[in-house]
Amino acid sequence: MPCTTHETMKENHIKIKVRSLDFWYQNRQILEHVSLDFTRHTITAIVGPSGTGKSTFLTTLNRLWENIPDAQMKGRVEIEFDGTFRDIYARSFSLTQLRRSVGMVFQTPNPLSMSIYKNVAFPLKLAGYKNRKEVGNKVEKALKQAYLWEEVKDRLHEKASCLSGGQQQRLCIARALILEPEVLLLDEPTSSLDQNAGRIIETLLLDLRERCTIIIVSHYLDQVGRIADTVMEFPLKS
Amino acid sequence: MNRLWETLIKAFSWACGIILLGAISCIIGYLFMKGAGVIRLDLIFGDTPPLDAILLKRQVLDGLFPAMAGTFFLVCFSVFTALPLGLAAGIYMSEYAGGSIRRVFSFSFDILAGIPSIVIGLFGFSIAVFLHRHFSDRIFPCLLISGLSLAFLVLPYIIRTTQLSLETLPARTRLTALALGATRFQNIRYVLVPQSLSGILSGVVLAVGRCAEDTAVIMLTGAVAMAGVPQSLLSSYEALPFYIYYISSQYTNPHELATGYGASIILLGICTFLFLAAFMIQKGLARRALYYP
Amino acid sequence: MNRQFEKTAEMVLFLPALLSVILTLAIFVFMLVFGLPLMKGGRFFELITGSWSPGHGMYGIQPMIMGTMAIASLSVFFAFPLSMGCASLISVLAPRGFSTFLRHTVRLMTGVPTVIYGFVGIFLLVPIIRELFQNGSGFCILSASLMLALLISPTMILVFMESFDRVPKSYLDAADALGGTPVQKLVYVIIPQARQGIWMGVILSMGRSLGDTLIALMLAGNAIATPGSVLDSVRTLTAHIALVIASDYESLEFKSVFACGLILYGFNALIIVMLRYVESKGTQ
Repeated sequence: MPCTTHETMKENHIKIKVRSLDFWYQNRQILEHVSLDFTRHTITAIVGPSGTGKSTFLTTLNRLWENIPDAQMKGRVEIEFDGTFRDIYARSFSLTQLRRSVGMVFQTPNPLSMSIYKNVAFPLKLAGYKNRKEVGNKVEKALKQAYLWEEVKDRLHEKASCLSGGQQQRLCIARALILEPEVLLLDEPTSSLDQNAGRIIETLLLDLRERCTIIIVSHYLDQVGRIADTVMEFPLKS
Repeated sequence: MNRLWETLIKAFSWACGIILLGAISCIIGYLFMKGAGVIRLDLIFGDTPPLDAILLKRQVLDGLFPAMAGTFFLVCFSVFTALPLGLAAGIYMSEYAGGSIRRVFSFSFDILAGIPSIVIGLFGFSIAVFLHRHFSDRIFPCLLISGLSLAFLVLPYIIRTTQLSLETLPARTRLTALALGATRFQNIRYVLVPQSLSGILSGVVLAVGRCAEDTAVIMLTGAVAMAGVPQSLLSSYEALPFYIYYISSQYTNPHELATGYGASIILLGICTFLFLAAFMIQKGLARRALYYP
Repeated sequence: MNRQFEKTAEMVLFLPALLSVILTLAIFVFMLVFGLPLMKGGRFFELITGSWSPGHGMYGIQPMIMGTMAIASLSVFFAFPLSMGCASLISVLAPRGFSTFLRHTVRLMTGVPTVIYGFVGIFLLVPIIRELFQNGSGFCILSASLMLALLISPTMILVFMESFDRVPKSYLDAADALGGTPVQKLVYVIIPQARQGIWMGVILSMGRSLGDTLIALMLAGNAIATPGSVLDSVRTLTAHIALVIASDYESLEFKSVFACGLILYGFNALIIVMLRYVESKGTQ
């Protein structure tokens, strides 16, 4: 097995099961026979040198890689929803439903060029929520969960691009949280931020552990030490 | 390489630059020298009060107003015809088409974009002949036929700019909404098209310019020297570029020739304005891209 | 319902694309069908090699093909060195301020209406050519191709410039580090690297000048004769279409314009295939 887990886990605490996953990009194999389990309500950090397919691995958990040209995957990913494990690559499994239950935050903050409010409410719009009051409440809740409410409550209708980098990243986290996902994937979420902004996000993630299963790709070993319950090391391919 | 060669190459390049600038300034300078004197309101409206002419209360007989109105209607009709088709096809090419469909389609759009405008005009003309023979003998080359032909002419431009501005969006922008559970069409509608709007828009503005300046298409499909402001889609009409072409060979007195210079200046002005507008829209895009992380 | 909607959306976007493809084919088919009477019985070859003499029932368009070729190749011949010089000036040799100015001017020139080049050509260039050579009316191959060269240069310059600017910076740094002068950098590094772009610019401009109507129509004199010198008057395929269209559309003379259309269509297809070929060679 190319990856090592530092903790033993019991089957009934497992949220995500990955079995013999292979991944190719432009005919180059990036991931080889990856089999991993992720425990519910923990923060799992994925570490390792760049080029070992850590970010790619995250995209196999919400099938986002399918939108990347020249990529190919083999293997099995199962996520537990409502007590049963479901194969997320099964034909009957709704892709949009998956993306709504498995949130993702990217390396650089990527707010859309609309207002703060609309950014956070955007996933609700996609999911077809119409009730304005309900949307308003959910936006407030998500912004509070992301530690952003106090800073933006008076300027919700300003452009999201006016926010600082750290605020933008928390906005993206709020946006990912608004659909109450069960899994949250973060791809080096603090690497484009300064240390303070990074620290805020770390505390925030520790808080979020109560609500979802968090998988974070990180380059900073000190950060991993502060927040991770489990560490997985992706080694260089042989 | 010895010094002499270097100096020669340098001198040659500078000479080229100067020739190009010289030639274009000669053309524009000559145009203004001959035509600046007639750039007055009566060049456009003749003896008719401008407001009456614009409200179509009175015919303008000796001004450029009918030609300008013709060009305006023509451009509106063809751009509004080509726009929905071009947008849809461009979005399809960028977001859906794959494999052999993509190859065949993009090859055929390349061909369509390169077809000389006179051939498009000939096609429009033969459609008119075809309709005249088989459907109604009231159909002759007219504003409708010209508008359609011009729409065919600019359709590939609109397809290509739409496709290009969508395809050049960064992968990050593409994935944002998908990661939030957007379907393919939601992603196009809420993120991709709004984000590439200025690119598409500047393409459309350039297409407007192309419609306004094209002469070859309209001379085969219904533009005439004297028609007044077009009364219906099925009537013949005047247009600015055709008027300039017509005057160049058929002028009878210095006054008409001077009007030709005036018309050229106006057409040049319109095209330059559209060109600058497209440029500004693009610039706006670049500036927004800077703020958009 | 969601899936159904997605399918419908894709269909709604697909149909206009298909329609545009059909349009491309329809233009070809129209030319073919309307031009058929002249080409029946294997007379297509006769048509494109024969001479034009309607009085004797001969509708050969060979003179027009020659005229088109002459004007297009001569204009590319003029435009190529001019564009190389200007592109070098903009990308490498000129100081920044002047380079930006020239770049914007060239961009703006692409927006100048063709009919204006023709109009000014008649009253400015033609008299000059007439006086200079003291030969005929001045409406000739030379006048048309000089003006056409000016029309196609901006496109050519822009394509050249873009391919110059695409040369990887590391190559340029290498030349700089070896103490190369700007001219050496241009001749030994940039131009060899940009060969593909240069070919594309030339082919693209060739396509534009083959398809141009107004300049040839207004400046080349439109005489139907195989050209002997650059001071002869000729009629291009495009001008022929424009001039004949006014006649009765049942006549055989009229049918010949569709043959012209077909040949222009063919030229265009050839140009596109060549462009594709050059492009694919570059990416390998």
